[in-house]
Amino acid sequence: MGEWIRFWIVAAILMCGIIAFIMATVGVLRFGFVMNRMHASGIGDSLGLGCVVIAMIVASGLNLASLKLLLLILFMWLTSPVSTHFLSTIEINTNPFIRRHVRIVSDESGTVDSKKGMR
Amino acid sequence: MTVDMAYQYLFTGALTVLAILIGIILVRSIIGPRITDRILCINMIGTLVICSIAILSQMLKEDYLTDIALIYAMLSFLTVLILASVYIRRKDPKQDVRENLTGGDPEGSPTQKSRDEAKTQAAGESAALSAEDTVVSGLQKGGTHG
Repeated sequence: MGEWIRFWIVAAILMCGIIAFIMATVGVLRFGFVMNRMHASGIGDSLGLGCVVIAMIVASGLNLASLKLLLLILFMWLTSPVSTHFLSTIEINTNPFIRRHVRIVSDESGTVDSKKGMR
Repeated sequence: MTVDMAYQYLFTGALTVLAILIGIILVRSIIGPRITDRILCINMIGTLVICSIAILSQMLKEDYLTDIALIYAMLSFLTVLILASVYIRRKDPKQDVRENLTGGDPEGSPTQKSRDEAKTQAAGESAALSAEDTVVSGLQKGGTHG
């Protein structure tokens, strides 16, 4: 009986993760600009992977493998915002028409860069 | 129906859905109009593969697969980092100055105006450029384009 309770807990958390991945995929497929797609991809990176790996931890119980899976969650939650930041840096550096899509805020003062022209 | 069979069905269904999602994101990476779309899709595929490996490690009861998932996460992060360094280094103003001194190729930077702007900026600052400085110069360069 206890095994079945654990199975249903694993199934519920795993389905939450799969639904988060489906939402992320629909967002990546349907949004129109890269920054929006980064937003949608962040759902899958944090919530989807977190739910799936927590389901695996519940299924595995307390041992060394579950500790490694916990380390995997920690690593992905630390590195996903960093890679998103680098991707937006690439986009700003290489896209000449970036100001048609986003509003760029100046780096030093934190104010909107209006003198350079938001045309 | 035993618990083990139920786990097998559950994990097989989850892996099937993940495989279908990988196919859909592959379509997005093919039709993605810019390079950042493709890098983003590669990152997303990496996340899905990490989840697949984590599910497989419980499905096959093989604990060493979690190590492989960790290494895959590190490689997926390193891919984005190296591609970012490549695409930001290409816009480095110091490199443009070096090309001007050695009479480099005329197709290096898009316009003469932006090259002059980069030259004055590189002459102004003596310290080594960090990634954030290149971001700022990219912002100013984008402002001239309008």
